[in-house]
Amino acid sequence: MNEQLDDTALSQRFPWVRLDHDTKNLFRAWLDRRFVITRCDDCRRYHHPPKPVCPACWSSALTLTPVSGRGTAHLVMLLHQGAPAPGVDYGKGPHPVVTVELEEQEHLRFTSTVVDCPPEDVRIGMPLELVWIDRYGAPFPAFRPRENG
Amino acid sequence: MRNPIKDQVAIVGVGSTGFSRDAGERSPKSLACEASIRAIRDAGLTAKDINGVVSTQEPMAPQPHRLSAALGIPDVTHFSSPTPVAMFSLIDAMNAIFSGACDTVLVSFAFQRLPWNSRSAARDPFRKFDITGGVVPMPESMDPSAAYTAWASRYIHEHGVPREALGRVALNMRANALRNPLATMKTPLTMKDYLRARIIRDPLCLLDMDVPVDGADSFVLTTVEKAKEITDHPVVIHATSVGLVDQNDEDQLPSLAHHGQHVVVDALRKKSDVWLEDVDVFFPYDGFTIITLGWIENFGWCETGQAGCFLEEHWDDASGRVLIDGRIPLNPHGGSLSEGATRGSGHVREAVVQLRHQAGDRQVEGAQTALIGCGGFFFNSQGAILRRL
Ligand SMILES: [Zn+2]
Repeated sequence: MNEQLDDTALSQRFPWVRLDHDTKNLFRAWLDRRFVITRCDDCRRYHHPPKPVCPACWSSALTLTPVSGRGTAHLVMLLHQGAPAPGVDYGKGPHPVVTVELEEQEHLRFTSTVVDCPPEDVRIGMPLELVWIDRYGAPFPAFRPRENG
Repeated sequence: MRNPIKDQVAIVGVGSTGFSRDAGERSPKSLACEASIRAIRDAGLTAKDINGVVSTQEPMAPQPHRLSAALGIPDVTHFSSPTPVAMFSLIDAMNAIFSGACDTVLVSFAFQRLPWNSRSAARDPFRKFDITGGVVPMPESMDPSAAYTAWASRYIHEHGVPREALGRVALNMRANALRNPLATMKTPLTMKDYLRARIIRDPLCLLDMDVPVDGADSFVLTTVEKAKEITDHPVVIHATSVGLVDQNDEDQLPSLAHHGQHVVVDALRKKSDVWLEDVDVFFPYDGFTIITLGWIENFGWCETGQAGCFLEEHWDDASGRVLIDGRIPLNPHGGSLSEGATRGSGHVREAVVQLRHQAGDRQVEGAQTALIGCGGFFFNSQGAILRRL
């Protein structure tokens, strides 16, 4: 468990995130490869990205809750150029960026990339599942195609 | 919906440097001063007539107190630096005048290409601006420019729209820019050129994105009473609105069926005495081509998903651009895509010039009413109706 990792050390593991006290524990969970989404203890609604209160009922009782990582591609773009990252080579082909609608709740979405699939085959509506990849030495939740059902 | 400010504030001065990809060794403050002096002189006023200064928070633009100091504006009783896009600053100035915080306001917009926009901008040792806040950029970040591309993919998916629908937006702006001496882009554009342009983020290409520029626009606003002392036919702000929905994180927007533009249109329609049938010239924002299609549909010119067909139906082959009902142009100055990325100030300036009947060979005959849809879907949707009295 990385619960003990202090905030300064956590920031160093995620140089690409503007972390704050509302979002830090979501990323802390990634270090243990736990894919979690903020859920309200009172009204049971999920929201993302993490906010200080539940936007639906204003409760502060929020829990980072493991989700299945299963969902459907809602938005799809292929970057022909963009920010550099380890393992991303625009010279070899476009890099897919996909917003996935998670199966836990309508309109609950998470944006990442898709692996194990040629970029041009990534399509809106495609069923996807979570797969952890490495980004700057830290686990990063990505997606890969899954059999429907 | 209440609109007590209707027709009470006028835009009496406009000034522009014109736009280019390289204004040379000029500071943004220098560009802002040039446009502001032109705007104040255009209104027939002097520095001592100004007592409000609004300077838009563009990355390199001067703060309002620095602009006041540079222009020697004696005593200022209202100053602010609203965020882009354009209407936030104009609405702030309008409200300040109407409330009595000040009487006559200078509104400034100054733009300079950022170091990563071009090689010559990167060579300028004084253009230092850190937009990242110290974090390493990531390919998967859903920043606003990526988000318009992502939602364009959804729009194309839901409505089966060909790329030509977006291309017509780019072609219209370019054809218009060719008749605007202030515009950056000076070469004609064909659909073939558009379809061959470099893909940046599929499904959008280089020509779907506005063109970063150096330059500035300024405006002078005052009470309608004072405006009538200056001119017989002042251009007044008839109605404005801004719009935001709750789930506005770029990738969490529930759908394209309800976002900032819808809130803007609903409020503007309720506040205004005039609507589409009265419009003489239409200014849909075009920071990305997909935003323009959104404004056309959401104002109600056509059904959802039909903006591409609408542009085709209203295409004027002779001039290679859109003329709604053979009459109403879209962004006759060339918009952000081809005049330059002024984040809406160009749209407002051209609206004023058209309503003054000073647009030369771009002039819409007898223009009385201009409709502006400024900004995009998420956090900067705005609308305005300007009228000639
Ligand atoms: Zn709740």
